Amino acid sequence: MSEARLLAPKLSPTEKGFRLFFLAAAIVALGQMFLIALFLLNEAAGLLATAPLGDFLFSKDWYPTYEPPEFGALALIVGSVVVTIGSSLIATPVGLGLAIYLAFLAGRRKREWIKPAVELMAGVPSVVLGFIGLAVVAPFLQDVLDLPTGLNVLNASFILALMAIPSIASLGEDALAAVPRDVLDASYALGATRWETIWKVAIPAAMSGLSTAVILGLGRALGETLVVLMVAGGAAQIPTSIFDSVRPMTATLAAEMGETAIGSAHYHALFALGAVLFVLTLAFNLLAYWLGVRWRRG
Amino acid sequence: MALFGYSLKERQTRELLALGVIRFLGGSFLAVMGALVVYLVYRGGSAISWDFLTEYPRDSMTAGGIWPAIVGTFGLAAGSMLVAIPLGFGAAIYLAEYARPGPLLTVIRLGVNNLAGVPSVVFGLFGLAVFVSFLGFGRSLLSGCLTLGVLTLPTVTAAAEEALRQTPASFREAALALGANRWQAIRQVVLPAALPGMLTGAILALGRAAGETAPIIFTASAALTLNAPESVFSEVMALPTHIFNLATNGAHIAATRPQQFGACLTLIVLVLGLSLFALIIRARLRKGRKW
Amino acid sequence: MVAGGPIIEARDVDFYYGAFHALKGVSLDVAAKETTALIGPSGCGKSTFLKLLNRMNDFVPGARLSGEIKVAGRSIYGSDSDPVSIRRLVGMVFQRPNPFPKSIYDNICYGPRLIGARKKADLDVLVEKALKAAALWDDVKDKLTKSALDLSGGQQQRVCIARALALSPEILLMDEPTSALDPIATAKVEEWIKEADLSIVIVTHNMQQAARVSEHTAFFYLGELVEFGPTMEIFTRPRERRTENYITGRFG
Repeated sequence: MSEARLLAPKLSPTEKGFRLFFLAAAIVALGQMFLIALFLLNEAAGLLATAPLGDFLFSKDWYPTYEPPEFGALALIVGSVVVTIGSSLIATPVGLGLAIYLAFLAGRRKREWIKPAVELMAGVPSVVLGFIGLAVVAPFLQDVLDLPTGLNVLNASFILALMAIPSIASLGEDALAAVPRDVLDASYALGATRWETIWKVAIPAAMSGLSTAVILGLGRALGETLVVLMVAGGAAQIPTSIFDSVRPMTATLAAEMGETAIGSAHYHALFALGAVLFVLTLAFNLLAYWLGVRWRRG
Repeated sequence: MALFGYSLKERQTRELLALGVIRFLGGSFLAVMGALVVYLVYRGGSAISWDFLTEYPRDSMTAGGIWPAIVGTFGLAAGSMLVAIPLGFGAAIYLAEYARPGPLLTVIRLGVNNLAGVPSVVFGLFGLAVFVSFLGFGRSLLSGCLTLGVLTLPTVTAAAEEALRQTPASFREAALALGANRWQAIRQVVLPAALPGMLTGAILALGRAAGETAPIIFTASAALTLNAPESVFSEVMALPTHIFNLATNGAHIAATRPQQFGACLTLIVLVLGLSLFALIIRARLRKGRKW
Repeated sequence: MVAGGPIIEARDVDFYYGAFHALKGVSLDVAAKETTALIGPSGCGKSTFLKLLNRMNDFVPGARLSGEIKVAGRSIYGSDSDPVSIRRLVGMVFQRPNPFPKSIYDNICYGPRLIGARKKADLDVLVEKALKAAALWDDVKDKLTKSALDLSGGQQQRVCIARALALSPEILLMDEPTSALDPIATAKVEEWIKEADLSIVIVTHNMQQAARVSEHTAFFYLGELVEFGPTMEIFTRPRERRTENYITGRFG
């Protein structure tokens, strides 16, 4: 050890200074995570003075401005879960279908155009998609299906799916394209058709990459705010059909945070909602990361 | 050939069916997106004019333009980069060049990755609690820039680290072998090689910042301002929040539909323009790269 | 097909990758139940020719073919022929061992399952037969459920051979099957080739290997079939100057 120290070059003051700055920046980047968690939990803890945790999580009565207010988040949590599941039912088959199309069926010429276009679609601001749901899809649904409102679970799931599909397709295509060519050739050489090769070789080999893609897409849908704020209808109820309105957690936050007094019970309740959201998306991300690590090892 | 019971016919039918379904799924999504883009360009295009882009809103927003929202969006996006680029690049340099692999590095990287997936509305809450209320900046351009900066920091850091890692180790070794110290090697050899890639990542993040709505609703945005922002403590308008307000809160939702479509198209052109720009640079870089 | 006659007949085959003329007027008969080696410097067209025999070049963008190739008397590029059924008849082993990331058992069963084999008893018999034919049964019979990727390179290559054999192909194509293997594993694969009761076409850059395992040898150079005949003759008294130069090592 002492020899190693002798060999280490002496750092000049400039070098030391920059090194310190870079370290500080890295600490900020990491510290941010803890800071966010800290602030969220700190502000959320204030709620416990008004409502016990059990009531918050399991009561479905969200009347924040009544006297006395009630802060039951169940309907909001269910709202988030319902639109996330709804969007996944659309986005998973379509996103993966598009990924398979790009990786195996499109041919090089078409892929060179479609892949970047899909990546660009992933960058469309969510407020624009929300606006489309509001101004285009909702009136259409209302007319065609003769509904009281077109702002409902179905519409929100559809628009969220439009948002998740490009990222699922792009990441999924990456995973499928990473399947070694020679393994695919082995399958073809055994007389497998294209679909048999895709289904029995490419998809199993890319499985963890594909599931990472789906989970990241769903995590995005769960955390998406503007789309559900504009399109889900905003009623804090547990839905009984896909034509009911819901009020997901993110929509509640965006709609109510601007109008509440800082430090009020309502303010703390909203932070508690934020904390729930934070924990849920963290779980999604850790799952995706874990699958990704397994993918790289496998 | 039907040795085990599946005839070639059956298998070919299944093939046709399965690939047909795949083509249908992919094609229907592309068709829906294409139709939406055409519709947006059609409705938005008829609303956009030179006056629309350069005037203040008038007559309860039913007339006039979106100029202050464009200015606000540029201000917020540029300001957020002033926060995210120095910190993000610094953190990336530390991670890629100085940090030794080990549990600490794993934790930092895990943290950075996870932050990239945290919903933007949570960043909005954070900005509200920290910048608006705790530090007392109020609802302002400054709070908005800081919030967006914090939001984009993980993306900028991850992209910059990736770009740094792609410069070959031989570059560093060559510089070190010539007697350069670590920082000289980084500044004179590694950074010039990696900088275009790092900036590409930053431009993509800039596009994201320009399109974000939730984080600035309660940290920066005003429904209407009638002057240019006087200082960093002024509230500003922004395109995303302007669209949101007109479409959901305004007194004349139906009457301002043309403005809404026009603002949407402007925002898309702005955001996708930035992304497209970054993608083109990236493609050029990959082609032109000699190592 | 006449007994003892050729199992593969190629007539005036020209093949292009885009503008590149990769094969020029190649005509060649492969004898049934014997081993034919294709040799020549890299880029000479031998691998391209091999891949034409089970239509693996179908995947190459911009590829064009003229001439005719018949396998077991039927034209494989005719309008009514189907690559999928051809490949059941014409198996292939690649340069790099490419087992699927599945168990040894599932690797072998892949082909039979494609054509509807489902009964465990049938599959068990097939797996044992194929592994025995590939001279691998004794090495792996106790670990059939282990991943094929855990085997050594030589064993992986023999899994790939067994996998191809499980479909009972008439012909086996081998594209440099030992170039990624160590000498001992190479010897085992060569041993297997010599004893196999099957028509084999093997591409190799290794002269000794061609001489050891094959009955017939074809020498390709710059897309042309320069010389084709019994291996003994090609290696002892070639008729063509270019062949002699190559087998004595002057092409580099």
